[in-house]
Amino acid sequence: MRTARTSGGLFRRALALLLGAALFPALAAGCRRGPDSVRETVFAMDTVMTLTLYAGSQEQARQAMDGAVAEIRAVEGLCAPEDRDSQLYALNHGDGAWVEVPGLQDLLERSLELCRATGGALDVTAYPAVKAWGFFSGEYRVPSQAELAQLAGRIGYEALELSGSRARLPQGMEADLGAVAKGYAGDLLREGLEEAGISSALLDLGQSTIVAMGSKPGGAPWRIALQDPAGGGYLGVLELEDCALGTSGGYQRYFERDGQRYWHILDPDTAAPARSGLASVTVAAPEGILCDGLSTALFVMGLERGVQFWRERTAGLEFEAVFVTDGGELYVTAGLEDSFSLAEGFEDREVTVIRE
Amino acid sequence: MNKRAKLVLALLVVALAGSLAAILSGRERTESPVARISQGGQVLEEIALDQVERPYTIEVDSGAGHNTVLVEPGRIRVSQADCPDQVCVSQGYISDGTVPIVCLPHSLLIEIVGGGGTLDGAAG
Repeated sequence: MRTARTSGGLFRRALALLLGAALFPALAAGCRRGPDSVRETVFAMDTVMTLTLYAGSQEQARQAMDGAVAEIRAVEGLCAPEDRDSQLYALNHGDGAWVEVPGLQDLLERSLELCRATGGALDVTAYPAVKAWGFFSGEYRVPSQAELAQLAGRIGYEALELSGSRARLPQGMEADLGAVAKGYAGDLLREGLEEAGISSALLDLGQSTIVAMGSKPGGAPWRIALQDPAGGGYLGVLELEDCALGTSGGYQRYFERDGQRYWHILDPDTAAPARSGLASVTVAAPEGILCDGLSTALFVMGLERGVQFWRERTAGLEFEAVFVTDGGELYVTAGLEDSFSLAEGFEDREVTVIRE
Repeated sequence: MNKRAKLVLALLVVALAGSLAAILSGRERTESPVARISQGGQVLEEIALDQVERPYTIEVDSGAGHNTVLVEPGRIRVSQADCPDQVCVSQGYISDGTVPIVCLPHSLLIEIVGGGGTLDGAAG
């Protein structure tokens, strides 16, 4: 009896061990699924955004996502230029008087800093010109030289005054925050998500602006492709962690008339599409608003001035950039040398690393 | 060995085999890409692109306008649209989840879910 019990116990123990071994792979496979993720697509701010969040639980991710979408709607509600309820509309229609714009205070201050830092290559007061070209309505037209000269005379960020939560613009001038608002929204989203305990997320705010939070679940960097401005797919890949990206390119929004292509990035000096020899500029920096505003400014500056601007970058404007010229040449600043690689099919493309 | 032990052993063998099969298939399985067409937030269609045998088109009407979606084995595009900017048409085919096709004026979205892919997103 005793022997039998012992051998029975042994047998049972062996069985349990085997059973465990048999089930282990299934359990391990369950673990390998990683944290819960939620993805949502949002039509907002004249583009389509895709937010992907990773969290410890589906519920946490869902809750954080709801907060993020609400934040996007809030920023959109503040700076939609044709929305009569937006504070930007109020500012643009203030007829030279001071207007209360508490929700825009921070964004306007940050924007003006960037306008000043870039010597006006970024100018947030170009809205009359943007409208004249039809880039807001989609009813495109080419304004005459005389009209452009008149429009250029109405662009000048120095005339936009801020005083606490109030702002004012001279009559006839209008601001457009399209070059900075998505990056700003991305920064707000990141802050909100961090507070909600999210440490891994990819916030694609319409491709021209991307905020990558943390790294991918598992620790690998995010792999973000860069579009070939010539339409050949992706020409390169950036591997990033905790970083924002902003891209400005003439291919993103344009129309054609009489064989000439006209794009949405205007040179504040001429009120016409900026033709600087660059096809696209991508800026990488910790902050989305910096990426957004600087990519526009560098596109306007062109390669030579842009490189000089990078070399001289003053404190608070730490950034790296990828320049693609009209001829398809690639220039990458030193800080991105290790994280940038050419995509399949573009391996032959020459890449020049810009050093200090 | 008594009958019960044999039964348990047999079950165990089945469990082991099943587990092993799950591992192996998991390793080799690449999720097949599914194109999801939605309009104004409503999912209209989901198409397993690797099961498409010959090209066909889907007509999508919204209050704002019309898009023709061309479905081919492994890829999908908007082939025609009456939107002013034609961004959706000029984007061409997509075959992975890196970027969706969007027709903003018509709130049309074509995204690919599932499927492998080494890119998490695209800037530009």
